[in-house]
Amino acid sequence: MSAYGAEAQALDAAILGAIEQRRVTDFNALALRIFSHQLRYNKPYAQYCASLGVTPDRLPENWEAIPPVPAGAYKEAALCTFDPAQAALAFETSGTTRGVGGKHYMETAALYDAALLAGFHDAMLSGAAQPLRYLLLVPNPAERPQSSLGYMMRKVAETFGDGREGWFIGGDTLDVDGFLAAARAAQKAHAPACVAGTAFAFVELLDALQARGVSSLGLPPGSRIMETGGFKGRTRVVQRAELYAALADIFALGQDRIVAEYGMTELTSQYYDATFEGARIKRSPPWLRPRVVGPDNTTLPKGVVGALVHVDLANRSSCIAIQTEDLGVATEDGGIVLIGREQGAELRGCSLDAETLRTLAVR
Amino acid sequence: MTALANVPARKIVRAVAGAAERWSDGDFPPRVRILDRIAQRTEYSLPAVEYALDRLFFSMTERELLAAIVNELGSLDALDGFVAREGRPDAWASPAGSACIISSRTTIGVALTPAIFALCAKCDVLVKDREDLLARAFFETLAEEREEFGVAARAAAWNSADAAAPDLRTFDVVAAYGGEDALASIRSSLHAQARFIGYGPRASAGYITRESLASPKSIAAIAEGAARDLVLYESEGCLSLHVLFVENGGTQTPLQFAQIFARAVEAASVEFPPGSAEPALRAQLSHLRNVGAFRAAGGRGAVFANDAAEYLLEYDPPRDEAPHFLPRTLGIIPVDGPQDALTYVRAHRLPLEGFAISGDRPDAVQAALEAGAVRLARFGELQNPTLAGGHGGRPRIAEFVRWIDKAL
Repeated sequence: MSAYGAEAQALDAAILGAIEQRRVTDFNALALRIFSHQLRYNKPYAQYCASLGVTPDRLPENWEAIPPVPAGAYKEAALCTFDPAQAALAFETSGTTRGVGGKHYMETAALYDAALLAGFHDAMLSGAAQPLRYLLLVPNPAERPQSSLGYMMRKVAETFGDGREGWFIGGDTLDVDGFLAAARAAQKAHAPACVAGTAFAFVELLDALQARGVSSLGLPPGSRIMETGGFKGRTRVVQRAELYAALADIFALGQDRIVAEYGMTELTSQYYDATFEGARIKRSPPWLRPRVVGPDNTTLPKGVVGALVHVDLANRSSCIAIQTEDLGVATEDGGIVLIGREQGAELRGCSLDAETLRTLAVR
Repeated sequence: MTALANVPARKIVRAVAGAAERWSDGDFPPRVRILDRIAQRTEYSLPAVEYALDRLFFSMTERELLAAIVNELGSLDALDGFVAREGRPDAWASPAGSACIISSRTTIGVALTPAIFALCAKCDVLVKDREDLLARAFFETLAEEREEFGVAARAAAWNSADAAAPDLRTFDVVAAYGGEDALASIRSSLHAQARFIGYGPRASAGYITRESLASPKSIAAIAEGAARDLVLYESEGCLSLHVLFVENGGTQTPLQFAQIFARAVEAASVEFPPGSAEPALRAQLSHLRNVGAFRAAGGRGAVFANDAAEYLLEYDPPRDEAPHFLPRTLGIIPVDGPQDALTYVRAHRLPLEGFAISGDRPDAVQAALEAGAVRLARFGELQNPTLAGGHGGRPRIAEFVRWIDKAL
């Protein structure tokens, strides 16, 4: 085995152990080991870090000082520690004004699977007495294998489901009739369900149900909803509180059974609302830590709004630290609260005119 | 009959110029009172707001107004009654009727210019005011100049969903600024024979020829001017600089110019401090800055910005990347000639308003024309159009009059 292979294997084993135990003995040490590994094997990331004065000879002092790569950099280069042609998984990131998407290459599916299943299990399956039936309003991986969300939910359904999951997004179309039939079948069978979808898909579903005169589609006790994805790129934006109230109403669920997941293709791990604990604060698993930073990339005090940086140990074969444009606030207990447009943080500079100009420019 | 129908045009022009002169005084109480409101609405710094008000009102002189009117209508007297015209019937530029001006939310006093020309044409005018109520405040001064303006010039704030929103079908002329969808919606709500003057979103570009990169003095002047064109009004105006082309082959390379330009932007930011420090914008700009730095680390392009992400200059960005249209954010694109610039503008379908050129080299001017620009200017003057010139390729007053020919 090559030196690289041995090192990667050892790191993966350490990360998998942490995931399995839900505990990272020394987050700082493991983060710096992973980062050091990436500096030696992930050339574009290493070049970027070098431009910031961080090299294998001048490593950061702690995990918070690891230079985060901007998420947009995934559209600029293959950011991985290995030959991307050998990737076990490759998920496409969303496009930009250039219409160019990037890819997140992963050397092994083991880390991704372990991280997503553990995170989902702990956040979503609390109190689930039996396998859930997954009704999925996310891209079907059979059609869109490049979708990390689709992959994730397939893995979840295969692992935790009752074997009767259904996919109700075909291409860009919502299969309302199929969903209705599946939801009613779950009702009839008293099979608790997990309805998972993007916020926009839920809005579309609610509109379609309303158009069909369906005002109630009560799911069996123990059911829950996972919402993800937001409204990026969509013209119709609904306040999240409004959406959750409507979902709770039609599916006859408490709002505490609606959990928002926050993830991104550039990450291996996900955040979830601590809804089952009664709060809409995003919690991360122990191997994923957020930082809230100012424009100079320094960590902001708790309670101050800034951009989110994620340090994800499970990103071993890509980049451990990712800078996003998403806004958030760190809470005292290590969670984050996302600040989105729907909460009034309208982007300054994205004036009507600028927005339209961007639209015109990419048509 | 409109409220100003019987007021001689010259008196209207004088009243407008008189009110503007009062507003040109930085200590004029109504101006002082409104300053913070404008800064709050636009999130521009106070020096930028002061500058904008100066530009707006200093230009509203009797001379400028008369020049625009005479250029477009042939004479001021044409507004008061029939005038003889050589080789054509006598004609009167009578008021088009009632005019509504719907301004955008981005720039300062944008509705006032069409409003004053509509008033000079003796139309009754309603302006959709912004939250700062600048139009209302100026109209109050106008009414102090001549009481007829109290009826002729009105300003109100509304949004289209308001029950109190005016019925646009009742207007003879509607001038509107806004996005494509908003303009389409407004247009569709007008009377079939109403005139619609739409000012959609537009952008501006700059072109620096290799010849102008010959002397340090010239380079410094261009950099200083371009920096002003970039930072004023937080790049939100249609005449703000949104993309800059720099020719290869000069004594200074485009990259060297970019370095000088970055210093000029820093200097301009002292005179006109950045506006909003809104976290979402800073997050967006710092992310873009770091993507640029990532590219640069890989040997592609360069990026100039400060730690606070108050401005961002991307040197040699990917050609398939459209301008970001964010405050103080600019792509600097090295080109071999004007055709390269034209190719970029066409590829991104940029609807150009202005084109700054560092000289009058014919091929650069031709490229600007082919790109669709309606204002060619030197750097530093891009955002300083004269009142007597057009806007958006349209005349100032001609669309507010209804010509009546007399062949008796």
